[in-house]
Amino acid sequence: MRRSTVIACSAVLSAALVSCSSPASQGGQDRAGKQEKPGFLTVADDSLTGRGSLTVQLDYDSVEADGVNPQTASSARSWMLGSLVYEPLVTIGPGFEIKPLLATAWKQPTPTRYVFTLREGATFSNGRAVTADDAVGSLRRLLKSKGPYVGQLGPVESVTASAPGEVTVELSKPYTPFLAALANTPAAVLPMKEIEDGSLDVTKEMLGSGPFTVREHRQDRGWTFAKNAKYRDADRVDIEELKVEIVPQEAARLAAVRNGTSGFAFFNNVDSIDQLSGTRNAKVVNQNNSDFYYLIQNSRNPKSPLADRKIRFALNSALDRQQMADVALGGQARPTGVTPVVLPGACDPADLPGARAADDAKAALKAAGAENLTLRLAVYTSEPALGQIAQVIQQQYAAVGVTVEIEKLDDSTYNERVFAPKADFDMAIGWFAGYVDAAMVSRWWNPVVAGFSAGFIGDDKELDELIDSASAQPAGDARERTLREVCDRVDTNAEMLPLVTRPGAIGLRTDKVSPTLYANEGFGNILRNVTDFTLPAAK
Amino acid sequence: MAYLRWVLGRLTAAALTMTGVSILIFAAVRAMPGRYSDLVLGPLATSADKAEAARRFGLGGSLPEQYGHWLLNAVQGDFGISMASRSPVSAEFAARLPVTLTLTGLALAFTVLIGIPLGVWTGTRGKGGGRAGRLIGSLGLSVPEFVLGSLVVFLFTRYSLGLTVGEYVPWSEGPLRSALSLLLPACVLSVFCVAAVARTTRDAVLGVLVEPHIAAAVARGESVSFIVRHHVLRNASIPVLTLTATLSAYLLGGAVIVERLFNAPGLGSFLVDGLDRRDYAVVQTGVLLSAAVFITTNLLIDLICGLVDPRISALAGKARS
Repeated sequence: MRRSTVIACSAVLSAALVSCSSPASQGGQDRAGKQEKPGFLTVADDSLTGRGSLTVQLDYDSVEADGVNPQTASSARSWMLGSLVYEPLVTIGPGFEIKPLLATAWKQPTPTRYVFTLREGATFSNGRAVTADDAVGSLRRLLKSKGPYVGQLGPVESVTASAPGEVTVELSKPYTPFLAALANTPAAVLPMKEIEDGSLDVTKEMLGSGPFTVREHRQDRGWTFAKNAKYRDADRVDIEELKVEIVPQEAARLAAVRNGTSGFAFFNNVDSIDQLSGTRNAKVVNQNNSDFYYLIQNSRNPKSPLADRKIRFALNSALDRQQMADVALGGQARPTGVTPVVLPGACDPADLPGARAADDAKAALKAAGAENLTLRLAVYTSEPALGQIAQVIQQQYAAVGVTVEIEKLDDSTYNERVFAPKADFDMAIGWFAGYVDAAMVSRWWNPVVAGFSAGFIGDDKELDELIDSASAQPAGDARERTLREVCDRVDTNAEMLPLVTRPGAIGLRTDKVSPTLYANEGFGNILRNVTDFTLPAAK
Repeated sequence: MAYLRWVLGRLTAAALTMTGVSILIFAAVRAMPGRYSDLVLGPLATSADKAEAARRFGLGGSLPEQYGHWLLNAVQGDFGISMASRSPVSAEFAARLPVTLTLTGLALAFTVLIGIPLGVWTGTRGKGGGRAGRLIGSLGLSVPEFVLGSLVVFLFTRYSLGLTVGEYVPWSEGPLRSALSLLLPACVLSVFCVAAVARTTRDAVLGVLVEPHIAAAVARGESVSFIVRHHVLRNASIPVLTLTATLSAYLLGGAVIVERLFNAPGLGSFLVDGLDRRDYAVVQTGVLLSAAVFITTNLLIDLICGLVDPRISALAGKARS
């Protein structure tokens, strides 16, 4: 009786597990990354004639110290939500090229001068026309602010309204990523008249020229956006109401896509790609990000073996980034150097000094006198991939005789341990937004500029100069050579090592929405082309 | 009079426990590394920015000052402002509490309505009942909520099984529809409690069944159902009531996981986010509320036990004298 009960229970459990795992066996990796047309994962079906509501589910909400102020927004999530309401002068195309947005055209008469022509007919959602004064005032306000994005704009010397509908920006020296930096929400054009006369508090309300207005926001529960009736292309926007629900649990977002409660959802665990495969009317795609994971080897603790560059480099040589991408991230990520591999002109991660010395890692460690090392590796728990990458690194370091103890910390504890002026860790994993120009993210390798990295990396003057050069040189072969040198130098220093790109899985219901999605994204904005999304007609 | 003294003693102990909990949670959340201002400003912020933000979020001043200020306001019903949502914590709790109350209320109802009859049934059915009781108890107690919940979410979203997942209906749209929308999470939440109560009830019933007065009742020719209703249930109820009180706190804790899994907008996610972000007022209020529920439930159960079995209050009175 007892044995038969056990057998019966085992059979029920096995059946349940098999039914759970069957969709995964159908794979989905190829489908997930496949481009429908060059540069696009999916392109909206223009034959769809529906109009109405779309529900989007995200894993976390925007939380900023300065409320909903776009200029001080520091996270990609805030940039994305802000982009539904606000518009900068320019935006990004599928190949990371700069495209017109509130500016229809721009000229660069000298290497340090940019002249923008504003779009005629653009209005804020209160009906007032967007003017050159709004654009000038917004940029000046941004430059004066303490927002973390200010540094990305480069050496801006002056911003002036040079003619009606024309804005001129003068830089003190050439800065190649200027337009790329301008293409993000913090650089949006704000209604300066309303801000200056006190009728609008941008930390509490959102009023822009973009396609949507905010109808309701409940922190950590969701947003309801309504189509901006004053938007210049309002007739072309099929989404009348955009509900953005904050659903922290990955399984709950998966469930919502399966049962159609949500039409579009973001997943930060690549396993979700397999788990959604085979679901009727569901499609899942993997958007390549310029964002990437990095490993910090803290060189600032003089008592740590990691203070020795030779040991750090030997450990770097022991890293197999392709294995990390394959094992920890289900093949949905790509190895990268400092210049994000998805961006034009990026360096080849397989050609970095550490990768070239991979076979000598164990011998190099022995030669440096570093045997039987035990190191602590800190990760934070809100990003599941960090723990998975840490386990792969643990195995890879074990192969060269180094023991890694993984410490899983909550975000606050991680921040305090890692970013404190006197950092308290051996190694740590995190991720950076990769932006849309290869020179932008490299700023973080200069601890004087970045500030937060001063606790765990040294100031390498030669590297600082290379980073500055890459920012100033015009696009071309010379700049690519400089960027390669930046990559090599960072890899040799082995203090903060880029690992693999950070994939972003998007699940969608084909019976709810037909979206346009770039294959590659630089600012983590999965709703970048939301005005192009089409909806099936109601049955 | 002795009963009244005993009740007053329990009330004083409850008030002291609440004060202790308030001090403990206030100190504990501040002892955790990192502060809200550091987290939202991110690593790029300077220490001056962080200090300015800390002052803006009311994190300046000494700890005793902050505690005194918070306690004084809390006893007047003002639990402070959530730093993340910038709205009063009491309003945030009021919006979320109905969800958690419905969920835990349903789960508690299942626990009592299924667990106790199941325990009585298995306890009065001899060997077969014993095996069934052990099997149900072991399964229910050993499957974690996140495993069972994930399985239920998967099955009910993958296949059309009649109930939907992730679509919470607020009370304002109909209490019955609201309760139905929380039926699945409540079932998942109650499995552990049903098993625990069934097992405890069964053991208590078995313990009472061997008492001499039961043998006398059988000898008098009384029917099994009469014996169970009149002689077994009352005597077996003390451990079951005590366990049910303990489980009420467990249900509040378990609701955190279940609410997240089923996307129910209750207190669970709010408290977890509050803890992650060091949103002190949210965490303090949440813990204080949980402690109040736990202490009140225990107090009520103590009072009920004292009424069900007067020996308890009498013994407690004697022990003090």
